[in-house]
Amino acid sequence: MSQGNAPQNQSIVEYQIERVVDETSTETRIVVLSRKDGDPDAFPIWIGAAEGHAIKLALDATVTPRPMTHDLIKSFAEHLGVTVRRVVVSDVRNSTYYATVHLGNNGVERILDARPSDALALALRVHCPIYIAEDVLARRSTANLDAWLAKLESKRIGAQPEVREI
Amino acid sequence: MITQMHLKGLMFDPYNNAYIVVLRDEDGSEMLPIWVGKSEANSISMALENVGPPRPMTHDFMKSFLDAYDAKVLSVVITDLADHTYFAKIHLMYGDSEYTVDARPSDAIALALRSQAPIFAKESVLTKQSSEELEQWLENLKPEDFGKLDSGEEK
Repeated sequence: MSQGNAPQNQSIVEYQIERVVDETSTETRIVVLSRKDGDPDAFPIWIGAAEGHAIKLALDATVTPRPMTHDLIKSFAEHLGVTVRRVVVSDVRNSTYYATVHLGNNGVERILDARPSDALALALRVHCPIYIAEDVLARRSTANLDAWLAKLESKRIGAQPEVREI
Repeated sequence: MITQMHLKGLMFDPYNNAYIVVLRDEDGSEMLPIWVGKSEANSISMALENVGPPRPMTHDFMKSFLDAYDAKVLSVVITDLADHTYFAKIHLMYGDSEYTVDARPSDAIALALRSQAPIFAKESVLTKQSSEELEQWLENLKPEDFGKLDSGEEK
């Protein structure tokens, strides 16, 4: 049932999905978010290959012959007259990110617990804003991020010149 | 006419590097194989085994979305088969109204299993897909085929 992991009224910052980074050797993908206000900051979230695919389809505005799983959730929302207002990466515990999906219907807000990958895949399809809680931004491990960025930079040289600096 | 189907099993198809959801009718005379992707198979398998994952998987999230609004899945129906693509409908009860939502069978089945909703197939789908085809396919499958991942021809 509806439940939130994070306290209400938490400070949040708006982000957007930059891209999905493929690691072809593994079943892991990295979805990279950037600040909507243009401040340089990249926020990576490690997700599964199928989840990455679901996000990439929406990011590239790919039209599939049949509705994919998150298209079906969007379709349910439309049938039920429910608006997806926003999604929030609301918490991080034991290296796992948690997200909330905020739904509106007849002036009543309901908050659902979700994996960030599902929240993001849905957000792209319904064109709702994406936020990350300040608390989550403050508590992310910078050590991991630096290691990841170093790896990405070395990979990127010559390979993907179109990718902009982060 | 529609026939109620039961989930008979889930197996790996080494030829297509995909998974097959096998539906069977009550008396076992009709069999309907549906080819699905790996993540869809995984989701169906988790519902079958009643595994509660530590975090909600996509279809669990879908279910909690419907639960939040007391929308009930009445049934799902496999409605059509065209060019090896199956079509399904999800019948929902919300408030006093019934809604029919277009879906892929893999999503419909994954949701039906989580909602204890019956799964039906239209008779026309069953006649199109004769169960002989599957049995023949199964007969041709040799034990050494299992685990062969990369040589499958494209569907």
